[in-house]
Amino acid sequence: MKTITMDVLKDAANRLLFTMSDEQYKTLYEEFGVLTKQMEKIGEIKGLEAYAPMTFPFDCSTTYLREDVAEEPLKREDALKNAGNKQDEQIKLPKVVL
Amino acid sequence: MNFEAVIGLEIHVEMRTKSKMFSAAPDGFSHDPNTEIAPLDMAFPGTMPVVNKQAVINAIRVANALHMTIDHTLYFDRKNYFYSDLPKGFQITQQARPIGKDGYVMIKVPGGEKKIRIERIHMEEDTCKQEHFMDYTLLDYNRAGVPLVEIVSLPDLRNGTEAMEYAEAIRNIVVYSGTSDGKMEEGSLRCDTNVSIRPCGQEEFGTKVEIKNINSFKNIEAAIDYEIDRQSRLLLSGDPVVQETRRYDEASGKTIRMRLKSDAVDYKYFCEPNITPIKLSDEFVDEAIKTCPELYDAKEKRYLMAGLSQSDADILLSDPEMAAYFEEGMPLVKAPKDLANFLIVEINSYLNKETKAIAELPLKPATLAEIVMMQETGGLSHKQCADILAKVLLNPQLSPEKAKEELHIVAQVSDSGAIMGFINAVLAANPQSIVDFKAGKDRALGFLVGQVMKASHGKVNPAEVSRLLKEELDKRQS
Amino acid sequence: MNYIDLSLKELHEALVAKKVTPLMLTEEALKRAHENKDNAFEYLDDEGAMAFAKTLTEPEKDNPLWGIPYFAKDNFSTKGIPTTASSNILNGYVPVFDATVVAKLKAVKAVMIGKTTLDELAMGGTGTTGHLGKTYNPYDPKHERMIGGSSCGSAAAVSASVAPFALGSDTGDSVRKPACYAGLVGMKPTWGRISRYGLFPFAPSLDHVGYFTRDVYASAVLLDVLAGRDNRDATSSAKPIDRYEEDLNKPVKGMKIAVLKMVTDSVKDEEIKKHFYASVEALKKQGVEVDYVEFGKDLLESLYATYIVISCAEATSNDANLDGIKFGPYKGGKTYQEVMFNARTAGFSELIKRRFVIGSYCLMRENQEELFLRAQRNRAKIVERVNEILKDHDFILALSAPSIAPLFTQASDKLSDEYLIADNHLCLGNFAGLPSISLPLGYEKGMPYGVNFMGRAFEEKKLFQMSSAYEAITGLAETSALDPKEAKL
Repeated sequence: MKTITMDVLKDAANRLLFTMSDEQYKTLYEEFGVLTKQMEKIGEIKGLEAYAPMTFPFDCSTTYLREDVAEEPLKREDALKNAGNKQDEQIKLPKVVL
Repeated sequence: MNFEAVIGLEIHVEMRTKSKMFSAAPDGFSHDPNTEIAPLDMAFPGTMPVVNKQAVINAIRVANALHMTIDHTLYFDRKNYFYSDLPKGFQITQQARPIGKDGYVMIKVPGGEKKIRIERIHMEEDTCKQEHFMDYTLLDYNRAGVPLVEIVSLPDLRNGTEAMEYAEAIRNIVVYSGTSDGKMEEGSLRCDTNVSIRPCGQEEFGTKVEIKNINSFKNIEAAIDYEIDRQSRLLLSGDPVVQETRRYDEASGKTIRMRLKSDAVDYKYFCEPNITPIKLSDEFVDEAIKTCPELYDAKEKRYLMAGLSQSDADILLSDPEMAAYFEEGMPLVKAPKDLANFLIVEINSYLNKETKAIAELPLKPATLAEIVMMQETGGLSHKQCADILAKVLLNPQLSPEKAKEELHIVAQVSDSGAIMGFINAVLAANPQSIVDFKAGKDRALGFLVGQVMKASHGKVNPAEVSRLLKEELDKRQS
Repeated sequence: MNYIDLSLKELHEALVAKKVTPLMLTEEALKRAHENKDNAFEYLDDEGAMAFAKTLTEPEKDNPLWGIPYFAKDNFSTKGIPTTASSNILNGYVPVFDATVVAKLKAVKAVMIGKTTLDELAMGGTGTTGHLGKTYNPYDPKHERMIGGSSCGSAAAVSASVAPFALGSDTGDSVRKPACYAGLVGMKPTWGRISRYGLFPFAPSLDHVGYFTRDVYASAVLLDVLAGRDNRDATSSAKPIDRYEEDLNKPVKGMKIAVLKMVTDSVKDEEIKKHFYASVEALKKQGVEVDYVEFGKDLLESLYATYIVISCAEATSNDANLDGIKFGPYKGGKTYQEVMFNARTAGFSELIKRRFVIGSYCLMRENQEELFLRAQRNRAKIVERVNEILKDHDFILALSAPSIAPLFTQASDKLSDEYLIADNHLCLGNFAGLPSISLPLGYEKGMPYGVNFMGRAFEEKKLFQMSSAYEAITGLAETSALDPKEAKL
């Protein structure tokens, strides 16, 4: 497991495309301390390897598949009306360099 | 030192379904930007994915054609990363449980066939289209959410040609199963490749280089061949191969560095919680396979059995619409080879000249078959039929019979008596040719047939002439 | 006293008798909303609500929700009406589609008055982290006590009697805990029972649509309308729905309840405990069998961490679409990364950012097995234990919270060492996806407190049946901050 340092936290935040104040990083670092201790409670639970990781609370498997029929799409003006930067009926960004 | 190249191909195929993979927006009909969007494709908060049945059916068919084990339960995962063309900030894919795994495809290699193993096939969704300008980029979300299948081979390929054959084999399967248009130039089939080399005999793999931006089947071969050569030169001069991503530059024919491969991106895959596991019954899977349109290999076999040459079959099958046209006419002619001939020569030439696709041909298969039959049983020569065909193409309302009338075309003389008349006259006029024929000069027969055709103004059946001439020549003494 | 203060049943009767009209109710709701000082509202749709109410002229006798005003938590997508999830990153966002539950309520002619505040992006339990600041508890005019969260605004709106019901969402306890602090009936049905299409996701494997009412009857008839398969939500259940009010007030003799011993024991407030046991005795008098059950100390102590890991991990992924590009304030930048970075840095509060980093950290390749997957395995073990208990019992019962609503000064949104089992058990209902309802029990210092019943999957009808019996015991049906009813116990 990756050791938690200020740098690791800053890097994680940057990868999530935001940053925080230094004070907040400190708070976060403390929270990780708390969380790690809390996580140890999970660590103390015996026999967890016998359980498959659970995403769904019970067996909710289904056979339903959507019929391949096209529905009326959004009107272009509706699709774009919340976008803050547009041009030529498309959303505009600074040039994306490959 | 001799090197062996180790090559794997990752192919993304855009499925041609009516609606998208997880939303019901129309799939790929419009070129008008941002007109084929459902709220999910724009990643509006609160929208949820619902799996497209036809996409699953297509994936099953392709997996089956590739001899893969098909998972009867569908699970989906999230691949999390940020990019301008990824509206949700994650892509829904099948990382842990792909719908198909452990398959293979046979490709033709010098000397026979080779098995290329395929690791996995899974469903996922496409990203937005980006149009780059000088200092800005425009995003079109029509493509966002279009269904994809990704096919990943094991590194069994050893050179550019094999890779190209492999990609074409995959293309043929996805096209003929009705899954995709499979056009690299249009982006409905995309190929990335990993190339490494190692000294012959070494088990350990060399450093892998990823190559992207290959936009045609020919370029698969060219890019890989260049890369193999580049890596060989590096190693021979004592330099290491660096792990990186390169793109193929068509103009120069070279691969060029895009970026160094840093630690592989961590996509933080986890199970997609908005799609509960979907159980596919045996009946559903069997039905999907049973109802799969006939695939390339099966058609090829059928055409060859019907008397077509390999090259004729290849040409027809290179265009599924041409193949479909051919098959419609097949039962209406005596020898499919004759129909194939007309398609490959006269029809193709017409389409090329008019820059049309066969879908725009103003001639139904049944009508073309009628013309072919005029050659097969109607006593007309190929040239006569070609003339009728040309006239009908110019005036699609004209029936072949009417066209024949208007062109004053008359059936060739096949009556042996009449033909003998011409033969005897020609033989009398060309005694030297008889001598030449007896002396074993093959040209002589052809010359004599030509003379008979001339004398009869082309109105005799050349095959008959040849047969009767030979008979007569054999009868005569030298 | 106004018609809007009546119980849903009586209100319906008054509407049918044309003693009151939907327009009158709507006007009253809007008036109260505008005058309300609890900071419970993100948006009030005066124009739209009145226009819709005006069209409702012929009462529908068999439609208990006809003409009834309500509020939706501001994380439900509402077409043409701004929806912000109380986060600056969604300022100005106007959805172009309705959430399924909003559309269903519109179809039965309920009148949406407006949107209520929440803890930002539904990630919180204090009602203090939304971008409009603290939401107050109508029971405390001094504004010293919280109402909890994340569905703080909806809880405030119903407990202040601004409208008879309000939609909320519940991922760890976000309807059932504020219900407890606000003296309301807070219902969270089985996972998949109500479509989540249009509900902004926090942690889909734990998210539920829930709602607040002032009595059990209203809660039951509301589920009639909201429940059901929705093909736009692949996780919504195709199981047939019930008439959930059918078994209300029927005898509960023979039903079996498991009380979580450790949860009750850990509560320090003796008054609250006393009343809890008194209510249990009252149930026993009606022939209900009650067992005190050990859940397992280790498991109970691991609940919170398990919840934080799973919910933060899923949330980080769900909110990756919030980048200021398709919607939300565009902050510009020299590259697309900068555009996203500027929007997200400005738009998310500090708390949310901390939660995202935690979630992201748990999903990292090198940590995933030990953190995220381990938490998911623990969830499986926890759920197994819950279902084990429910094999022999119809319900699990516990106090919803160890105390009345905490003072703002008492609570913090930082992860704290102070771990109270009694404060963190409601997430069992989310882990196991089981129907769970909070009901008022009594008051202390004038502030409500209550209990929580959890039943088996898709047994909401039975849950309501037991709830109606409990409600009769406490006498607290229809209690509100405007007009608190007297607690019988």
